[in-house]
Amino acid sequence: MNPEPLNVYTISTDTDARTRESTSLSTTGVLVAPALLVVVVLFGGGLVLGVIQSLAHFPAADSDRLTFEHFANVLSDPDFLQSLTLTLYVSTTSTAIAAVLSIMLALVLIALSVRYRFVHFIFQIPLTVPHLVVAVAVLFMLSPTGIFSRFALKFGLIDSSASFPLLINDRWGIGIILAYVWKEIPFITLMILAVLRNTGVELLEVGRTLKAGPWQRFRYITLPTISPSLGAACLIVFAYTFGAFEIPFLLGQTYPMMLPVWAYKNYSDVDLLARPEGIATGIIIAGVIIVAIVLAQTLIQAARRRGVVL
Amino acid sequence: MRGKKRIFRIDYFLKLVSGFIAAAVLSLTPQANALTWSQVLEHARGQTVDWFMWGGFPSTNAYVNGYVAPRVKELYGVNLRQVPVKDISEIVSKLLVEQQAGKNEGGEVDLMWINGENFRTCKKNNLLHGPFADRLPNQKLVDWTRPSVHNDFGEPVQGLESPWGSAQVVMIYDSGRIPHPPQTMGDLLDWIRKHPGRFAYPAPPDFTGSVFVRHIFYHVSGDAAFWQGEFDEKRFNEAAKKTYMLLKEMAPSLWRQGMTYPENPVRLAHLLADGEVDFAISYHPAEASKMIHDGLYPETVRTFVFKEGTISNTHFVAIPFNAAAKEGAMVVADFLISPEAQLKKADPEVWGDFPAIDIERLDPTWQEKFNSLPRGIATLSNRELQTHQLPEPPSEILIRLEKGWQKHVLKGR
Repeated sequence: MNPEPLNVYTISTDTDARTRESTSLSTTGVLVAPALLVVVVLFGGGLVLGVIQSLAHFPAADSDRLTFEHFANVLSDPDFLQSLTLTLYVSTTSTAIAAVLSIMLALVLIALSVRYRFVHFIFQIPLTVPHLVVAVAVLFMLSPTGIFSRFALKFGLIDSSASFPLLINDRWGIGIILAYVWKEIPFITLMILAVLRNTGVELLEVGRTLKAGPWQRFRYITLPTISPSLGAACLIVFAYTFGAFEIPFLLGQTYPMMLPVWAYKNYSDVDLLARPEGIATGIIIAGVIIVAIVLAQTLIQAARRRGVVL
Repeated sequence: MRGKKRIFRIDYFLKLVSGFIAAAVLSLTPQANALTWSQVLEHARGQTVDWFMWGGFPSTNAYVNGYVAPRVKELYGVNLRQVPVKDISEIVSKLLVEQQAGKNEGGEVDLMWINGENFRTCKKNNLLHGPFADRLPNQKLVDWTRPSVHNDFGEPVQGLESPWGSAQVVMIYDSGRIPHPPQTMGDLLDWIRKHPGRFAYPAPPDFTGSVFVRHIFYHVSGDAAFWQGEFDEKRFNEAAKKTYMLLKEMAPSLWRQGMTYPENPVRLAHLLADGEVDFAISYHPAEASKMIHDGLYPETVRTFVFKEGTISNTHFVAIPFNAAAKEGAMVVADFLISPEAQLKKADPEVWGDFPAIDIERLDPTWQEKFNSLPRGIATLSNRELQTHQLPEPPSEILIRLEKGWQKHVLKGR
């Protein structure tokens, strides 16, 4: 995960209202332009090219006409629903677990008033470890003949490596979820900590003087304070885990496979006719992520309008 | 005036002659820009050749980076860079995109190590430079009449790729655990049923997993040679159906009850080393010895081939149509089949890959060098291997079996 969104957020929380006012619209435009250009040209351009290729006939020689054939092939595949469900399950579960653990961790760290710089430093280490490395590490630790299993065997906790629980390439994607949770906790925690550090403590003291219990303080003060950045972090994590390939490829079952693995398999198939289907799958992944983001935003807006404090 | 006229005539004459020569050259070689070998060497000097290849085999990587690269630099001034990839089909996809985009020169890929399936794709889509293999001086050492050199997975090579080495499937086991391994495919299948959870094969379309399925295909169809001929739809469908049935019935007896498969032979080798399974499969006869030498396998690991034989093939290198350093790539391809490079490659301490050249065509001193190479402790003798060879089926059969396996065995439809 790229640590950039984090910095962006930290800056925006640190910016107080006065400086925001003084920054004119044109200055903002100039400052945002390079980043926007890169995103629009590279990412948007790639997406557009992808859409075109997924709609094109193959071979390219007679590709004047556009077709939804490849999308139809993917969507009508009996495995599609299964793969989509599995992917949704893995990404929501890992996002939810990571979010809950991150909130707890952030609260503990704030309560212990651990020096922020130290925490920041420690948490940046897992942020920089590539997902691929995490996948291989999980494989070596949790496979039936991995380090944990060997220790368990040595200390007589299990009688053979075969009785070690299946955590890798397993039916429930436990290995994948564990790898994602380990990788995303520091990211979400840092996002929450950034907010809590600025606003959390004073408000909690006010709450305490007003005789609010610990749960009430959490529900009515902490949660509303952190929810915007928590929501943003969760969406980033969800989008990433939904579309990333390396962890499910190494730690997932051969079948059913998660959508990104499916897209890759089709794309690198010797049968070149499978390529547009691979791209179509990629576009579908992007579509699901966009829908998820829009849906989440709409729900939050609706909740705010109804006065539900979240 | 007269003199000028004469000059004009000579000029005209020269043009005519050179035109004839050019026409003759053109008719002899399909390449318009055909160069003599010394011109190729001249152009190659100083070129940087990016060689894309599967990077999952450490000894191959060490051979390429530690030996081939410095030698071609020293001998021909060619800078060779290995670009390891997970699956060369990614590169084939890339080339196809470049072809569509009209990028006909200055391509990133100069040389690639490809397998039969991808060669077929490349050939069908005109993604290859050449023919060039027949122009390499060292090609005289290659026996082009051998079926596995003449055809790459049933696809005529026609000089579009140059051989690099040969390989044969062997089964790997630990003699400390299994003193008497099964000798035929039939016996192995019985063994698997009697020892549930102790056997695995990588999931096709992985290369090694795919070749295991082809052995089963040969086993149930009872005849490997038949498939070399004209494709018989009806017989194929019958044999393929039997293959899937057998593998599907066998799945519950496999590692993890066939719920998941190792993704590649590297993972399978780890499973054998970790004692999770009792056999591994390798398309490299000397790989087990090499792994013992590297301390990855115990000393007691051995290999065997089935009595009815195992599949063997020749592996090749090819040059993409838009390679930036075509001459450099040709020089590297030629060096790869030189006696020196082939001998080094055959050394089990280095890689132990079997030669692509015909040892009999070398002079006696070189022959002696090849014959006196130390053989790894787990490597079978040349004789044992060569008397137990089966050909690869045409790649059409291979692709259909891979697809069929995914549909019927993996997804159970």
